[in-house]
Amino acid sequence: MEDVAPSTTRRGLLAGGGVAAVSSLAGCFDRLWSQAETPGPDQISMSIKAVPADDDPIAATIASRLRENYSDAGIDASHEPVAKAELYRDVLLEGEYDVFVARHPGYDDPDDLYGLLHSRFVGEQGWQNPFRFTELAADNHLETQREATEDDRPAELVELLDHLLQSVPFTAVAHPYRITGARESFEVPSPPRDALGYVELCAHAANGPRDGPLEVGVFGEGLTERLNPLAVDRNRIEGLLDLLYDPLARRIDGSYVPWLAESAEWDEGGGLRARITLREGLEWHDGEPIDADDVAFTFELIEDTSLGEVEGGIPAPRFRGQQTLVESTDVVDSRTIELYFVNTTRAVAARALTIPLFPEHIWAERSELLTDRQTVAVTDDNENPVGSGLFAFADASTDEEVVLEPFDAHALRGTSDRPSVLEGFSRFEGIRFQVAPNSGAMRDLLIDGDIDVTASEIPPGSVEEIRDASDVSTTMETTDAFYMVGFNSQHAELGNPNFRRVCARLIDRQHVVSEIFEGFATQAKGTPSLVGIHDDAWEYDDDEFADPDPDILSFPGTDGSVDTSQSQPLFQDIGYNYDGGQLLK
Amino acid sequence: MALIDVLLELTLVVVTMLVTATLVIVGPRNAVTALREFRWRLETCLLSFAALAVVLLLRWSTQDVVQRLERNVLRNNITSYLFEFDRALFGTDPVVVLQSFQTDVLTSFFVFIYIYGYAFLLLFPFVAYFALDEMEELSMLVLAFTANYAIGLLFYTLFIAFGPRNVDPLLFEGLLYEAFPQSRTLTNEINQNTNVFPSLHTSLAMTVFFLAWVTREKYPVWVPVSGFLAISVSLSTMYLGIHWFADVVAGTLLALVSVYIGVNYTIDGIVASARRFFGARFESPNTDKE
Repeated sequence: MEDVAPSTTRRGLLAGGGVAAVSSLAGCFDRLWSQAETPGPDQISMSIKAVPADDDPIAATIASRLRENYSDAGIDASHEPVAKAELYRDVLLEGEYDVFVARHPGYDDPDDLYGLLHSRFVGEQGWQNPFRFTELAADNHLETQREATEDDRPAELVELLDHLLQSVPFTAVAHPYRITGARESFEVPSPPRDALGYVELCAHAANGPRDGPLEVGVFGEGLTERLNPLAVDRNRIEGLLDLLYDPLARRIDGSYVPWLAESAEWDEGGGLRARITLREGLEWHDGEPIDADDVAFTFELIEDTSLGEVEGGIPAPRFRGQQTLVESTDVVDSRTIELYFVNTTRAVAARALTIPLFPEHIWAERSELLTDRQTVAVTDDNENPVGSGLFAFADASTDEEVVLEPFDAHALRGTSDRPSVLEGFSRFEGIRFQVAPNSGAMRDLLIDGDIDVTASEIPPGSVEEIRDASDVSTTMETTDAFYMVGFNSQHAELGNPNFRRVCARLIDRQHVVSEIFEGFATQAKGTPSLVGIHDDAWEYDDDEFADPDPDILSFPGTDGSVDTSQSQPLFQDIGYNYDGGQLLK
Repeated sequence: MALIDVLLELTLVVVTMLVTATLVIVGPRNAVTALREFRWRLETCLLSFAALAVVLLLRWSTQDVVQRLERNVLRNNITSYLFEFDRALFGTDPVVVLQSFQTDVLTSFFVFIYIYGYAFLLLFPFVAYFALDEMEELSMLVLAFTANYAIGLLFYTLFIAFGPRNVDPLLFEGLLYEAFPQSRTLTNEINQNTNVFPSLHTSLAMTVFFLAWVTREKYPVWVPVSGFLAISVSLSTMYLGIHWFADVVAGTLLALVSVYIGVNYTIDGIVASARRFFGARFESPNTDKE
């Protein structure tokens, strides 16, 4: 017995062990099979794109903070710096992004939101709905504010903004101050970022007069590469193309002032239309006359840069929001054109007059196709831009400078019958942009007295140094521009408005303003500013927002850092789960 | 300061350093002898220099094409991986740790090392090896530099990466361009801010150091001097917020590979074997016909 017992025990053990092993293996296989067949939820991942600090230290830092906060909230977040031109290509042309951070120049009118968000633009490139955002309710609001009478429009806009606050296709973080450095003796009535800013600078009695050009400092990569007003995938000097290409009318202090147009007669009976008369003796920079055909051509070109060559058309990546206000055009004679508008009001329709005019004799042949969905018009470098502005392009033979010369044949030069901003214009012989490699080098150009004024944004960190330097001064003012965080609605999770809304909360706007902007910005706080309209610029006080002091986008944490005990419930409330701190799909 | 002023200052400082080092390490007598017999020395390594010139010319002339290929076609942005690599390795950001020791003196030191020390470190071996009795070491150096540039160029085309200072200027300070913004006019001529992985500053500096070790019998003093400079250059790239730790590691590996190539191969050998290879290819159909 004693001999046998251990052997049976061994055998029993072996058998038992074998069974156990097989069954546990079977269990293991079962688990493996079921895991392979129905994989568990993965962690949500998102990449955040923004320009590198060389291009914009603010955008880069916001993106970096966003990455940190998303990681803390359990998202597998990565931050991908991409050069400005490539960021625009990824976001505006190809829709290849999850989240991006960028500086938006700001709206002229709330109707800019139509181009930015309407689902009819979802298949188009450029600043037309880069979020791939499609919502019937939003479309409705965008359309009704266009159609509403002047009295009804404020209420419609309030409804639109209330809706966007819930739906957050993008969110604004802050409105930066515009900081301009200038020679001590210089007056900067408004910062030189658009044509009017330059006009005022060149006209001010304190500046010049000088036989030479106004010397302007800018910085950045590839600024002189593509001087094409239709292109969006390039870094550019703000305001340069606005100086070269004039529109029919310019918006000055909220009202539309005829520019290349001499007059606009509006007729509201039976559909809105406007009869535009051009100024006499208008010329392009190459000496060709500007006529009503060029105006009609401009609207045609923006609607379809292939000029009918391609079925369905290839719309321009810019100005579509304004152009879609015009239903059709009718050239009456060489100086007169009738514009027929869609169902809208005069206040909104006038925006169509601010599109820069394109010379037909140059752009007509650019309707040629480059690839299936690209025309030459959009991709051409436009090396010698022929426009109609007060300044003509003279030279950009090196990467370091762009020279504009006065265009003496311009209808608004040498006449007294002209908009009042032009009084005293111009006390300089043209404009010369000096391109510095980075913001520090631009600052040195100013301090060394090589430039009169800076036109690229001065980072907050440099302000002190400029103020301390002798013979230079800084001016500062609030702007319509804003930093936005954009969400790709075609991302698996970001397609969900509830998810977007929580993501839009995960940036501490107050902390961003105090730490990243060093106080040189206004925090997005009220409903208008969270959608990109400066709270102070909101003119319609009569109508109340649903939530006048919205904390719907308040930050779940303190001092810029997410508190997971606050952020996790936010995601759980909208149906998401956590596993070991990871947010699951 | 314009580009020309920056260049002038650089030349002045580096030439002074070179002359001093030549007098101390090479010795005036050897230097004079070498200058007197410059003809055969140059002739001996002409081919190596030609190869280096070709690679540099290629790099310079294809800058636009390469940038377009890199950014518009290949589009491999690896910045976030470099960031994660550094964090995973140390549990914190090594660049931030280095920058936490920041003082004005240290910043000035590293800016000096990054620009002037680096230029000196790269140029002095040419003088030193030129003064030797044989040109073997000089050929090694030139071939190793050529390999550095050629492989570096390949990596820069394959990968887009931005350095720490470009990712988050509050977390990683861009000390170089803050302390010395004009240097950007200089570095812009040679490089773009997307050329980060690997660090060519590190790889070239380390190449000089490794070769100093290989030739330690000829110039024993040069080993510690080049070692100090090379390590300082590597540290400076991180301290100044230009490179990740991962770039420095990759740069050091690239230096090892380049030195291996420099020591074990010669340009004549490579040209001869290439000729044999292509010769065999092109001649075989001819022989068939005959």
